[in-house]
Amino acid sequence: MADYHLKSPLLDSDVEQLKIGDVVYINGPAFTCRSRLQRYVFDEGFELPFSTDERNVLIHAGPIIINEAGEWELVSFMPTSSIRFEKWGARSVEEWGLKLICGKTTMGTATAAMMKEKKCVHITPCSVSPNLWSDSIRVEDVHLLEELGSIEAAWLFDLQELGPFIVDIDCWGNNLFDQYRSRVDAKRDEAYKKLDIPEDFKYTKLYG
Amino acid sequence: MINKEVYQDVIFETIGRGSTVIPQDVRDAFIRAIDRETAPDARTGLEKTLESIELSAVNQRPACPDTGWPLFYFKVGNNCVLQGGMLELEESARQAVSRATEKGYLRKTMKHPLTGYDPGNNIGMNIPDFTYQFVPGDFIEITYVAKGGGSECFGGTRSRVVAFADGVAGIKKFVVDSFIDSTRSGAICPPSMLGVGIGGTANIAANLAKEAACLRIIGSKHPEAAIAEIEVELYEALNSLGIGIMGLGGETSVFAVNIEYAFTHIAGIACATSSNCMVARRATTRIDADGSVEQLDDPNWFNGR
Repeated sequence: MADYHLKSPLLDSDVEQLKIGDVVYINGPAFTCRSRLQRYVFDEGFELPFSTDERNVLIHAGPIIINEAGEWELVSFMPTSSIRFEKWGARSVEEWGLKLICGKTTMGTATAAMMKEKKCVHITPCSVSPNLWSDSIRVEDVHLLEELGSIEAAWLFDLQELGPFIVDIDCWGNNLFDQYRSRVDAKRDEAYKKLDIPEDFKYTKLYG
Repeated sequence: MINKEVYQDVIFETIGRGSTVIPQDVRDAFIRAIDRETAPDARTGLEKTLESIELSAVNQRPACPDTGWPLFYFKVGNNCVLQGGMLELEESARQAVSRATEKGYLRKTMKHPLTGYDPGNNIGMNIPDFTYQFVPGDFIEITYVAKGGGSECFGGTRSRVVAFADGVAGIKKFVVDSFIDSTRSGAICPPSMLGVGIGGTANIAANLAKEAACLRIIGSKHPEAAIAEIEVELYEALNSLGIGIMGLGGETSVFAVNIEYAFTHIAGIACATSSNCMVARRATTRIDADGSVEQLDDPNWFNGR
């Protein structure tokens, strides 16, 4: 496991070196995205109102940001569960040219396959520490604030050492949470045993 | 009589405290978890989360940007008289939620389930939610809970009916399986306070699970020995799974397993689980009949636990 301090926009070579379990800190341009933005673009057919060429880091988050005397002030930020955006994950990676997605836990198989093909990684927080992260984020701009509301809008960030995050899907087809899932499953029977649940226990079929 | 201005101020302050100050029992659980953690990433995660929690109290910032569903639990003395009555209490709570949203204590999270309409103040049909309990006395205790999206709807709440034929083993298996499922795919942020509701109608079981997760303090025990024993067994079994903080592996997967039950129909046993976020948001304030105000660590929702 190694520590990486990455600078966006990311190149394939930045991404290719990362393996699951590595620790990542991010610098440079990024943007926030939730389902409303993806629906706006992929289902409703609107153009993404900014370029991702120099901003290929997407963060699944709905931050609290207020306007203090004309300046945006980030009150609280935490990456949110990525799996709920699986529907548009593969298209986002492909069409927006993403190299890194930051979000809680994991994405599904379709997005992971596209990430492998297009060289993109997913990173996840190992803590819930919004108050340690707020100094690492400068709010540059916002798009679609009126249309989508403040949580679902696309906030453009300039990041300084935002992290630590753990690489949980690398671009080589590995998934850290799949590994953990197997480990937990291996301990499940032992837990049943501790709880005196018989090995051959089956629920009475109550429905249909 | 308790004046309107008094309870209006209390409700607003309680929401702010609920969002920014994490209760002492939860912070103590972090310290114990850090002490026994052997996995370096998990230890870092626990330390950074606790550090952030401490800062949120100092900076008056939400401990998590998902400030959740706004839920009020009112423990009302049978002889408590509120200026304007109970409807004014509810209206004051709505206004306080709106004001707390404007001030940044709460995120603009509540939206219409079908149209997606976001009023921007967390107020809408049946939200905020109010739950009442009536007790002897002339005071009112107001508890605010911010129930996180992941922990509530994203896998953290599960239910099933267990046949009497499947008994306690069926209930325990349901709890283990539900918890494992809920920690996958980013559903919740463990270590959790896992509430388990057993019996009653389906909604009674679900409410008991949620209240056991959010309103009992860590370390509390069910007063009936047989239930308390299952709480300990499940706590140990779930922590042996190695799920750890944020599901990334570690020694502590739950901070607590709290069980509450209701008598049930001979037809079967409705069971529910509800997880509370490790960054558990809850605050309680008591107002006595003379208008004196006291902040409480323990919501004491279940009378002694």
